[in-house]
Amino acid sequence: MNWAGAIFGASAAVALVGAVGAVGLKSIFHNILGFALAMLGVAGVFLSLGSDFLAVVFVLVYVGAVAIAMVYAVMLSYPLDQPPRPRNRWKIAGAALFAAVGAAGIWLVVRGAPWPPANGRPDLSAASAGTRFLRDYVLAFELISVLLVVAVMGAVMVARRTRAPGEGR
Amino acid sequence: MSLMAYLAFATLLFGVGLYGLLQRRSLVAMLISLELMLAAVSVNVVALTTLTGSNGSLGQVVALVLVGVAAAETAIGLSLFVAIHRASHSIDVETLSELKG
Repeated sequence: MNWAGAIFGASAAVALVGAVGAVGLKSIFHNILGFALAMLGVAGVFLSLGSDFLAVVFVLVYVGAVAIAMVYAVMLSYPLDQPPRPRNRWKIAGAALFAAVGAAGIWLVVRGAPWPPANGRPDLSAASAGTRFLRDYVLAFELISVLLVVAVMGAVMVARRTRAPGEGR
Repeated sequence: MSLMAYLAFATLLFGVGLYGLLQRRSLVAMLISLELMLAAVSVNVVALTTLTGSNGSLGQVVALVLVGVAAAETAIGLSLFVAIHRASHSIDVETLSELKG
């Protein structure tokens, strides 16, 4: 068992525990904490793949930004004082069955596919990602920038309190 | 680590996210499940491009684009939840049935 394997095992366990918590716990706030834990684990998995930059990006974006934004949305919208209504047991069983069948189908396809063996470890540094973005994939880079600007402006427009009719600007 | 370990991890993560997306009723919890599924896809892409074939550093670029799209989706989704809550005082999907025919 080398270092990458140890890191992968520990982070995969953390990520799966976090994911189960993010999905299974009752309180929405605990779900968000589990989501942050799961994303920390996924960042560790990227670390074990050799991509330090992607691991840092995942911690920054998901744990640092997305989870905080979710806490804000819950704070602004979710009725935390209301007890959750009882749930139809058949619907839960159906969801579990569908997810299990879906995951099993994916696993069958993945296991049967003939993956070619790797020829050497690729360069996964931040420098290589930057070179690729600004040389080969500059259009994707610019499109992501435009998408993020439009998304943030649209989010502000949608979430802004709408004025009552007759109220002036 | 072998490729199959990464693929098995991503499949499990995707399955957990799929279960949450189908089972939860709160819109925020459904968004969390969706993000888990997207993270599983990112793990798959990076593991497959790194551990098979050639052109290995391309997976990092694809995963970064996925992170950008997921961030945009979260911003729009959360603002929509706040707007929906303001209109109907609930973000439970089973009570949001105004458009039901």
